[in-house]
Amino acid sequence: MTYAILQRLAQMLFVMFGISLLVFLIFFGTPGVDPAARIAGRNASPEVLEAVRHSFGFDQPFYVQYLTMMKKIFVTGDLTSFVNRGWKVVPAVLDTIPVTLSLVFGAAVLWVVFSLIIGVVAAAFRDRWPDKLLMILGLIGISMPVYWLGEVMNLITQSRFHDIWLFAWVPPLGYKEFGKDPEGWFLTLVIPWITLSILYIGLYGRVLRASITEALQEDYIRTARAKGLSETRILLRHALRTSLIAFVTLFGLDFGALVGGSALLTEVVFGLQGVGKLTFDALQNLDLPVIMTTVLYASFFVVLANAVVDVVYILLDPRVRTS
Amino acid sequence: MNTAANISRGPWATALHRLSRDRTALVALAFFVLIVLSCLSAPIYAWWAGVDPFKSTLDAVITIDGVQHPVMELPTTGLALGYTPIGPTWRLGNYFLGADNQGRDVMARLLYGGLNSIVIASAATAFTLIFATAFGLLAGFFGGVIDMVISRILDVLWAFPVYLLAISLSIVLITQGISIGPITIESSSLALPVFIIGVIYIPYVARPVRGQVMALRQSDFVMAAIGLGAPSGRILWKDILPNVSTTLIVFIPIMMALNMLTESALSFLSIGVQPPAASWGTIIQDGQTLLYTRPAVALAPGIMIVISVLSLNVFGDGLRDALDPRSKIKLGRG
Amino acid sequence: MKKLLLATAAAGLFGLAVTPAQAEYQTAHRGGTMRLVAHAAAGTLDPQINYTLQYWQLYQGIYDGLLAFKKAPGAEGFTKVPDLAEAMPEVSNGGKTYTFKLRKGIKFSNGQEVTVKDVVASFQRIFKVSSPTAGGFYAVIVGADKCLKEPATCTLDGGVVGDEAAGTVTFNLTQPDAEFFDKLALPHASILPADAPTTDAGSTPIPGTGAYYVSAYDPNKGMTMSRNPNFKVWSEDAQPDGYPDTIQFDFGLTDEAEVTAVQNGEADWMFDQPPTDRLGEIGTKYQDQVHLNTLTAWWYAPMNVNLPPFNNEKARQAVNYALDRNALVNLFGGPVLASPVCQVLPPGFPGHVDYCPYSKDPGTKWSAPDLDKAKQLVEESGTKGQKVTIIAEDTAVSKAIGTYMQSVLSDIGYDADVKPISPNIQFTYIQNTNNKVQISITQWYQDYPAASDFLNILFGCASFTPGSDSSINIAGFCDKDIQAKMDKALALGVTDQDAANKLWAEVDKDVTDKAPMAALFTPKHVDFVSKRVGNFQFNSQFYWMVSQSWVQ
Repeated sequence: MTYAILQRLAQMLFVMFGISLLVFLIFFGTPGVDPAARIAGRNASPEVLEAVRHSFGFDQPFYVQYLTMMKKIFVTGDLTSFVNRGWKVVPAVLDTIPVTLSLVFGAAVLWVVFSLIIGVVAAAFRDRWPDKLLMILGLIGISMPVYWLGEVMNLITQSRFHDIWLFAWVPPLGYKEFGKDPEGWFLTLVIPWITLSILYIGLYGRVLRASITEALQEDYIRTARAKGLSETRILLRHALRTSLIAFVTLFGLDFGALVGGSALLTEVVFGLQGVGKLTFDALQNLDLPVIMTTVLYASFFVVLANAVVDVVYILLDPRVRTS
Repeated sequence: MNTAANISRGPWATALHRLSRDRTALVALAFFVLIVLSCLSAPIYAWWAGVDPFKSTLDAVITIDGVQHPVMELPTTGLALGYTPIGPTWRLGNYFLGADNQGRDVMARLLYGGLNSIVIASAATAFTLIFATAFGLLAGFFGGVIDMVISRILDVLWAFPVYLLAISLSIVLITQGISIGPITIESSSLALPVFIIGVIYIPYVARPVRGQVMALRQSDFVMAAIGLGAPSGRILWKDILPNVSTTLIVFIPIMMALNMLTESALSFLSIGVQPPAASWGTIIQDGQTLLYTRPAVALAPGIMIVISVLSLNVFGDGLRDALDPRSKIKLGRG
Repeated sequence: MKKLLLATAAAGLFGLAVTPAQAEYQTAHRGGTMRLVAHAAAGTLDPQINYTLQYWQLYQGIYDGLLAFKKAPGAEGFTKVPDLAEAMPEVSNGGKTYTFKLRKGIKFSNGQEVTVKDVVASFQRIFKVSSPTAGGFYAVIVGADKCLKEPATCTLDGGVVGDEAAGTVTFNLTQPDAEFFDKLALPHASILPADAPTTDAGSTPIPGTGAYYVSAYDPNKGMTMSRNPNFKVWSEDAQPDGYPDTIQFDFGLTDEAEVTAVQNGEADWMFDQPPTDRLGEIGTKYQDQVHLNTLTAWWYAPMNVNLPPFNNEKARQAVNYALDRNALVNLFGGPVLASPVCQVLPPGFPGHVDYCPYSKDPGTKWSAPDLDKAKQLVEESGTKGQKVTIIAEDTAVSKAIGTYMQSVLSDIGYDADVKPISPNIQFTYIQNTNNKVQISITQWYQDYPAASDFLNILFGCASFTPGSDSSINIAGFCDKDIQAKMDKALALGVTDQDAANKLWAEVDKDVTDKAPMAALFTPKHVDFVSKRVGNFQFNSQFYWMVSQSWVQ
């Protein structure tokens, strides 16, 4: 068991190392992204440019620059941005986490509740019209580009129909801190929550329906039926429970990825200053220190989610444990 | 040694039979084919409408019901700020969906753009499937160090958040283009988004293929072939690949749908198809700057994406049920 | 200057109460919070390093130099007035020595009094922190060459001499400099406490002497400016007291969301220019809240004179003839927001004389494109069919212009394509000759009102550094005769500015004829403010004077 954990840990480290190296090489391998001139300011004279290059260490060999950057992220925590000079990156990334967590957490609540309802209802009515309708709706949810949906939502709630009673409550885009203004926090996030969760509601609803249907054909369900248990009870107490394994695994992976910054498009469209938006802005500016930190942060969550899911899977599913 | 072939012939026919009875899937397929055909007719439409969808026509004037309208108009009231393109005329061949901010016919661009979107999605699908199959086969069949190396590479790709990888690759590639040996990809060519999208999704396909190959490697007929001393290449090609192909085929429509979404998202972040060429994603991006005055420019390509992706997904469902009703392949997501 | 006065008058028509330059401070309006919004932060807070309009505008109320641009509306804002110095300096030694007497009793926001030592240290600090303009603007000070080579040990020995007993600071220059006063009034020459860090202060604010100080700053969220408790008015012209108690500048909204926020009165002003699809709406429904002002700036398309096809003068002229500047103006938002130009110096700028050879009927003003002439020139140049890539910024307007230019260049016979890249990268990308950029779209805004700030900087031989990301002469244009004329004009300016301006007008003509660029248009600045903002005043040098408007 210890060995397995250690191995997992080594793999995580390797993946994060690979990613950081990849990011570093991509950025320094590109001509035209030399940050020195952008740091120095427009029309800087060659002497000034040299001074800046030297003070930021751009004249050192790559491996030294890479190691310095890693040290500044993990050991001293004082890595500063190339664009907003003097801006400490690590605390900046930590600052954006509450925004991303608020977005992802709320959306997760929505998608879990609604996909459970959809999955169970569809499975209960399988192959009849409610099932077909729900499944098509789910597919439509999966088929919409999330940023486009966000734009349309904005168009409807911020502009076209902002004045009618249905959307008059929608506050302007942006994030409000929960601690300062809980009501504002909730209201600004409602539309982003809905937008982000639609895809997952569709996806999870379909996955759940499929696994419930599958579970309903297992032997133990037949046994339960033979015992004369009610169909609702069988569905909810037995079939659903087994099906939740797949659901939980999937959820873990998605939640990890989203907390890591995969909600980038939603954050950009709704002007939420989360990790994704931070990364996006940094990419637009080629602000390597910020990109490096957010990417490492993101990959940490993805890798961690993978590991956690593996463990949970073992705990939940006795079949895997024994084999 | 022909066992594999014998096993696979039957299922193919059965699958086709099953598919032909799945009305929903067939309707979806027909829909998609219809979209492809109309996009293919883009040049005809542009010729018939007499517009050049790649040329800025800011001073064009069109006639509707005998009344002349400029395609781009400045307001006459207030401070007279802002330059607004004409809205949808709902007249085919005459700025049906209105103009974009260059005075170009959105309908014609929509058709041309669809062509690009579909070409990119298909080519990226082919790219992903080829490389993912190769990786999956090698890793699953040979195991050991090869599997280790490939799996770790896939891990890195997998954990690297999809859009970040795409964005970083694109910023590098858009300005410079790339040259791998004798092949040079021009920075404005369609090959660029194909390459980016293709790379991103390799792990999504390679992992299940690897798993399946590992299982097949333990099966009796492969063991027998190895025992008889057949060369690895031959076993891979003759025995394993045909068995994996069902999985691959099931992946095609799903990947197409996924790639279409990814392409549009990349273009939305302005790192996909470069102007003046169009794809549905770039038209949405153009439309974004007109969202408040001419929402049709952004809405139309979005709706086209939803319809195409939906029809691909529905067809994909049908295909999966037909080929492999108990398959565990699920939609990937970005 | 005529044009600028007109602009101010026009601004009056757009619903702004024209206030006399020396308005009484109206205590009734004092107080409240002015809420500003911008898409993003603008980098380091260090006034000696930051080189963005976004912060220069705000520095006006935070920092002071020895001199300052007058805090007055319109072109009067180009006037230099004594700030921390008691009066304009005595000039001696043939324009090479300047002696300033420092005002007494002025305190930094941290309570320290401003002394001669602070002034000397501040000028050393320009070099110690490698200010972007250290080599460009301040290299004329004696000892600057040494400081540029070894910033850490910079003393400016003999260049900036303080006399603590007399309370004076003396500057010695290596040569007379007609623009030295302008340079002293820029934020890079702000006077900071002598113990300010000698490295980039980044997001830690440095105390200043202005009416406000930065009390909080987070580049990902916003900036708060509060009243400087140690501030007392010493000169209404240089550093007047402000109206709002707090100025809150928030970052992170999209342009669209910024417009909505101002419309709904949730913000008082947006820094970014409103997106084109919202212009119609704010120009009609909210026209009383819009202020338009001509900028001394230009949008232009530099053409690389060292790369085919634009190493051929005819090819460059062809582009100039072909561009429909009306179309470009419309893409920017219409004739109310921009006016077509063919030449370098913006209208109203010192040395500007209307000139436009690239028009259907050449003369002083642009009238219409001449496509036939353009096609003929391309034919004659023998560059027809060559591949041309336009590098635009990835912003709505720049991309639209790029796409339009791609269409025009294809029309006159080139195989053109356009690549929009992220605005922050584009500006350095197009400067580096290694990137082999043929033609690009960019803008230049004045630092201070002097013809050399456009001509000598953008087309002078000294600003062309091959292989460097910092080579602001993007066209790589270096013409011996024109350079000689510019040097002459610079020298002449020390004694006779009017004669120098006449010479600059000639230079402007010569450069325009050689066409190392295609001038596109002179933009206007849109300020969109909330209903409650009063006393809006636009200063030609540093734009809207934020602290001089009130919110209650």
